[in-house]
Amino acid sequence: MNQERKIRVLIAKPGLDGHERGAHVVAFGLRDEGFEVIYTGLRQTPGQIVNAAIQEDVQVIGLSILSGAHLSLTQKVMDGLKTQHANDILVIVGGVIPEGDIAALKGMGVAAVFTAGTPIKDIAAYIRTYVPNCSA
Amino acid sequence: MGNDKKKIEVALQEWEEKVLYPRVKRFNLQESPTRFYTPLSIKHGNFLEKVGFPGQYPFTAGNQPFDFWQAYASEAARMGYRPDWGGGQVGKYGGFGTAADYRDYLKRMHSMGRKGGPNIAFDLPTQCGYDSDSPYAEGEVGRVGVAIDSFRDFQIIYEAYTGELDIDKVPSNFTINAPAAVIIAMYAALAKQRGIPLDKLRGTPQNDILKEFIARGTYIFPPRPSMRLFRDTCVFCTQYLRALNINSIGGYHMREAGASRIQDLAFSLANGIAYIQAGLEGGLAIDSFAPKFTFNAFGGSMEIYKEIALQRAARRMWARILKERFGAKDARSMLIRQPITAHIGCSSTTLQRPLNNLVRAVIGGMAAGMSGGIPGAFPPFDEPLGLGHSQEAVQLQLDATRIMIYETKVADVCDPWAGSYFMESLTDATEEEALAELEKIEKMGGAVAAIENGFMHRAVAKSAYERQKQIESKQEFVVGVNSFTGPNEIEVMINRVVEDTYDPELLRMAEERQKANLAQLKRERNDQAVKESLQTLKMSAQDEKENLMPSICACVEALATLQEICDVLREVFGEAQPVKL
Repeated sequence: MNQERKIRVLIAKPGLDGHERGAHVVAFGLRDEGFEVIYTGLRQTPGQIVNAAIQEDVQVIGLSILSGAHLSLTQKVMDGLKTQHANDILVIVGGVIPEGDIAALKGMGVAAVFTAGTPIKDIAAYIRTYVPNCSA
Repeated sequence: MGNDKKKIEVALQEWEEKVLYPRVKRFNLQESPTRFYTPLSIKHGNFLEKVGFPGQYPFTAGNQPFDFWQAYASEAARMGYRPDWGGGQVGKYGGFGTAADYRDYLKRMHSMGRKGGPNIAFDLPTQCGYDSDSPYAEGEVGRVGVAIDSFRDFQIIYEAYTGELDIDKVPSNFTINAPAAVIIAMYAALAKQRGIPLDKLRGTPQNDILKEFIARGTYIFPPRPSMRLFRDTCVFCTQYLRALNINSIGGYHMREAGASRIQDLAFSLANGIAYIQAGLEGGLAIDSFAPKFTFNAFGGSMEIYKEIALQRAARRMWARILKERFGAKDARSMLIRQPITAHIGCSSTTLQRPLNNLVRAVIGGMAAGMSGGIPGAFPPFDEPLGLGHSQEAVQLQLDATRIMIYETKVADVCDPWAGSYFMESLTDATEEEALAELEKIEKMGGAVAAIENGFMHRAVAKSAYERQKQIESKQEFVVGVNSFTGPNEIEVMINRVVEDTYDPELLRMAEERQKANLAQLKRERNDQAVKESLQTLKMSAQDEKENLMPSICACVEALATLQEICDVLREVFGEAQPVKL
């Protein structure tokens, strides 16, 4: 039997943005790819997301943002992770992210940005590459 | 006809054996990739009963023989009319920053001749019932719309609407749902202050809370008290704001969130039925308020045959529900009044090779023109590239619409598909499937119950994932996304410059300035009056039978904030909880 634990992923919707399609699809898709997926539901503050990530002991956080507030909200999540010494958690971002903002997000420490049209298996492959020693 | 039918049956069988099957076999297929329809495809019903004439029950062929824009189309072309997007007499949908920022923007628009009524986008804190100084509002004040904390903000916006643009002359649209009662109360308070009779106020509050639970997510209170608030606004508008539309019911948001076409149609009508019932429970006669219901839009897709069928089925279903189930006599009660008909939906646009989205939007516009609507190319091709559209994308959208209207003449025939064996059978099938889904919801206890038990929300999420799987497994093809992406395809470059609609510096400072405005309001107002009005509201809220609108109006006039009003209601009603998947 495979004794390795599954990779745990928190899919989170920071802020008041209610566009949930991407979060739903990625949550279902990664679950079918063999990950443990926890979805926060709508309207989470950056602080709540950081706490949930730590409590659920996840290796990956996927932030879904379509309100145009991705820069400030992501920055707050990254700051929170650093404060809590949890910045080893891989953070990926999805949503309506203009090309020009991707570099800024990566500058904050975001590992990857996946925009519309990305196949789930590409996201899964990315996570498997960058989260070693786990199975999924 | 009976004899004819027999002959066709025989001929059909012969065609299948001699033409169709040999061809399918020749290409080594399991089945034919195409279908062909005959009079046999139409199972029951006759023309008058199922289609009828445009502008007559059951409205399958359209709400009217022609729309207002068609009456003036040639004139519009001769004078080079350029619409101020928004539909009807309202201006472009917008809003940002503080009320003063938005007021100044509107004044600038007016000086450029864009004099449509306000079509207000509210920021997310306002939509969710939070003031600008709430921790939940941090980073979101004035971003996706204008921040409204109190009646004072509302008044400031309307400083742009006086004289020939006063509120008895131009209509207003409010894209607001959970706190719609508060915004309607502000509109009434403004009229009162200006000495304008309430029945002169025109416009449309979205006021469609049910779809927020299913898709859009800006809910505050649980479904049942939310429906009480709807009932109260419905009764208040019917009694006093008689020219104002009551709501704008949307399937569009659900489809964009992933709902299938049938779910979109069934859930929209189920929600509509719940709103009708709320009005009746408020003691209103059906024909006194149903004519003031509007629809925002159903969703759309690239499969235009099916979208045209949806529009035809929707008109017939709603008309029948109103007439047969609710006993409406006034034809206006039976209409799906909506600004657009078929379209492709924003979720059909692709980030990859984005100019293709113009082609897609035109196909949707043709479907609109063939289903009783203005043949509008929607959305602009750069929709998936980020918030805002470039001037060029908007120009091409506008021209595409003009080409469809004037050069193709696509909308010169009402319901051009009427009588098509294929379209009539597809319309029947759409209606049948949507009725089955509607019946499922009715068995649960109607839309509110199907929202409370999470059925609709989960169904939409599941459909979204199904669609994704179809694309990833290449059962469905999207050009440039999961197919035709090889090395020989070339990237068509576009140079997209989105001008700042709003001053970026104002936007950056909006939160801070709005918080200062709010602090000033709280210092200046009469605290005792605020406290008393909120106390009265609380007592009214505790009595389910009471209409909340008079108390909400009193709170608004006493300068209680939007959050203070919502907090009182949160205390009595509780808060909606997100659905667990």
